[in-house]
This record gives sequence, C-alpha cells and structure tokens, in this order.
Amino acid sequence: MPVTPNGRRYLRLIGSSTRLALPATAIFLLALSAAGPAHAAGADTISRQAVNAKVKYCEICHGASMRGFRGFYPIPRLAGQQVEYIENELKGFAEHTRINRTAPGATNVMFNVGHVLSPAMVKALATKFHNFNPPPVGGAPTAHVAAGEKIFKQGIPGANVPACMSCHGPDAKGNGVIPRLAGQLYPYVVAQLTNWGHERTEKNSQIMAPIAHQLTKPQIEAVAAYVSGLR
Amino acid sequence: MTCITSTKHAAHRTSRAIPHHDSQKRGAAMSWRLVLPLAIAAVTFSGASGYAATPSSVQAKIRYCKDCHGLSAQGYRGYYPIPRLAGQQPQYLKNQLRAFINRSRPNPIMSNVAHVLRPGMIDAIASYFHRLHPPPIGGGPRGLVAAGRSIFENGVPQDDIAACAACHGPHATGRGEIPRLAGQLYHYVVKELSNFPRERGQNPAIHGPSFIMLPVAHSLNRHQIRAVAAFVSSLR
Repeated sequence: MPVTPNGRRYLRLIGSSTRLALPATAIFLLALSAAGPAHAAGADTISRQAVNAKVKYCEICHGASMRGFRGFYPIPRLAGQQVEYIENELKGFAEHTRINRTAPGATNVMFNVGHVLSPAMVKALATKFHNFNPPPVGGAPTAHVAAGEKIFKQGIPGANVPACMSCHGPDAKGNGVIPRLAGQLYPYVVAQLTNWGHERTEKNSQIMAPIAHQLTKPQIEAVAAYVSGLR
Repeated sequence: MTCITSTKHAAHRTSRAIPHHDSQKRGAAMSWRLVLPLAIAAVTFSGASGYAATPSSVQAKIRYCKDCHGLSAQGYRGYYPIPRLAGQQPQYLKNQLRAFINRSRPNPIMSNVAHVLRPGMIDAIASYFHRLHPPPIGGGPRGLVAAGRSIFENGVPQDDIAACAACHGPHATGRGEIPRLAGQLYHYVVKELSNFPRERGQNPAIHGPSFIMLPVAHSLNRHQIRAVAAFVSSLR
C-alpha cells in the first residue's frame, strides 16, 4: 500500500505517534475491505458509475440516447420503452426463449449481453432507458402512413386483426409487459412482425403470434410506417 | 502522373483564356455581347464536367488508386498497410474520401489524393471498387482466428465490447456507411483499432459511425484487437 502525500501529512500531524497511526490505518483499511464486498453483495445497490458505463455500452449498438440504429440489422429503439417489457425481453434472451442470432450457428448476441447483467442492473438500465426521449430515427416510407394509422386504431375486423391501440395504447406508448411502439425503427417493426414465431417464443409474446400471422406484408409495412413516426 | 497532366491542361486553358478575354476588353462595346454568352457557356461546361466523369478519366483514376491499393484493390502492404477497397461499401468509401478532403480524417497522403476528386469521380470509383471481389491477401496469424470469431460474433459483454456482427453483419460485409471488414488487411485493422481516436474522423456532434466505434476500440485490448483482425482478414 503506497503512502500518498496526504497520508504522510496526516502522519506528520499526529507527530511522534506513528506507532499508533500505523495500526489505526491498518484498522481503517480492514474496515474498508470488509465494507467493500458487503456493499457489492447487496445486489440491489449498484453504483451510478457502473450503470452509466453499461448504458454507454448499450448505446454503441442501440444508438445515442437509445433511439435505435440501423446497423447490419435494425437495432431497436429502447428509449421510452416500458421497464417491465425490457426486463422480460432480457430474461427471454437469457433463457433462450427469445432468439437473436447474427448468423446461423453463431450464438445469440443478446443472450451474451443479457446473461452478464444482475437483476439490479437490468432494473437500473430499464429505468434509464424508459426516461430517455429522443426524437424518432425516421426513414420510413410515408406513402402508407394513413393506412397504417387505420389498422392501428381500428384493426382489420374482416381478417381477425384487432386494433393495435387496444393494447399498445392510443399513443403507442405501451403499458407494463406491452411494449411501446412509438418511434420504433421501421425496418425493426417489419422484421419482428414478419418473423414473429421464429424469434419470439416467450410466453408474453404468444398473444401477438396469431395477429402477426394474420397481417399481410403491405399491412405490416403500413402499420410499421405509422408507429415509427410517432413521438 | 495523372495529377501532372491535369495541371498542365489547366495551365494551358488559362493561358489561352486570358489573352482572349483581354482582346475582348480592348475591342469595341459590341464584344460584351459576346463575352456574356461565352461566360455562361464556360460556367455551364465546367459545372457539367464536375458531376459527370468520363469513362476514360475514371479508368485512369482507378489505375492510379491501384498503384497503392493493389492491382485488384485487394490491399497492399507498403511501408504502411494500405487498405483493401475491393467489395467496400460505396457510401463508406465516399464518406472517407470526404473526411480526407475536409481533414477530419487525418492522413496527408489521402488528403492530397482526395481533394482533386470531383463528386462525379468519387461516385464512379466508389461503385467500381464495390464490385471487385478478389480473394483476401492473407498474412494474419491463423492461431488467433477462432478467438477473433468469438469476439466478432458474440462480443465480450463483461468488458462492454459489442458484437462486431451486429453492425458489420455476420459475414463482415458492412452496410451503407458501415464498412466491410471481410478480407481487410490484418495490419491495417490492427493499426486502425489500436490508434482509433487519431486515425479516424469522428465528430461527436453528428454521432457518426466513427464516433460510435470509439468506445469499442478503446475497450479492446491488444490481444483482442489482433484476434479480431486475424478473423476478419481471413474472410472472403
């Protein structure tokens, strides 16, 4: 343990009693080292620094303020997302009920990301993301926004497609386990709705399976264009 | 060689234009009626030549690029590692040439190369290089390929290193402004990742792709950089 200049001054202050100071320092250090692990073991407390470092890591792929990013794959917006939904999805990745592979045979990218996170970190990250509010990335084709709005608000009763709004809310902000769709990346929404059964096998996603199955490609594109523009 | 020729041409044009202009001024007032249409024609002509590069000038410029970047643009180990351009994303190539021109990506040699290129020429050479598909030049340490593949596909989540594949694609082909890494020179990838803040033009204000890579390059240690460079340099 190197003695810092401050430490030396402290030793000089108490003058001749270095014989006293050294054991005192030792006791102080012992107390510190005992407090350290105890602090870390209480998994419900996490340093702000650790959370911010992890947020920066998430932003590498999910974009500044988690607004989403078009990498090789569309990487979803998590800003403003429901806390419970994010927790569920990370759990789904960790349990392999939500599949996310970059290549056939490759391991699940989000599994790797998710399985090193403690529950307290997941909660802290989800809360952070929920409070971000950047504008949508945009870039969706504008031609079918009106058709998308109609599907979102009224559904397609003839095809047994319910109104998205009845669960996702009139502003597409979601609620609890039901995700926010407002401002979500257009190509991401299209990819999810097109590929629902292969990617989302967790229990909470089952309710969407028949709906995704019923939607035609133009309907998927229309509704994705509509929600991707919502703030 | 190309540069010298074009400079000579320019000088020739100027030396002819100035006496012509002078004689017009010295002439009667009627000559002004001639000057204006001539000036308009000159401006129009130079404007058009700025955006449409002729096939022969494109071919000449491509040969010039290949002097350093390799005969099929597969990259070349000169004194410096000179990157592979073959199969590269056109948008990425254009962005880099612009970054060399405005010196946000500091590289004196490439700044000189790039600042004489007109927008039409930049578009033409970017789409040409994208279509080439030579085999990788090789030369990376084979023993590190497996470790590199793991970093590329999965990242190192406990060190906050993202999976390269999420943005560069499962086969490292890139997309749009995100570069292809497949077949890139091992030494070039090592150099860029080791020295990222000084090599790449990144602007925090626009949060562009180079800025996104900054923390990733920072988090990778030397061994991880060599491993991931060995892996991508081996990809076709």
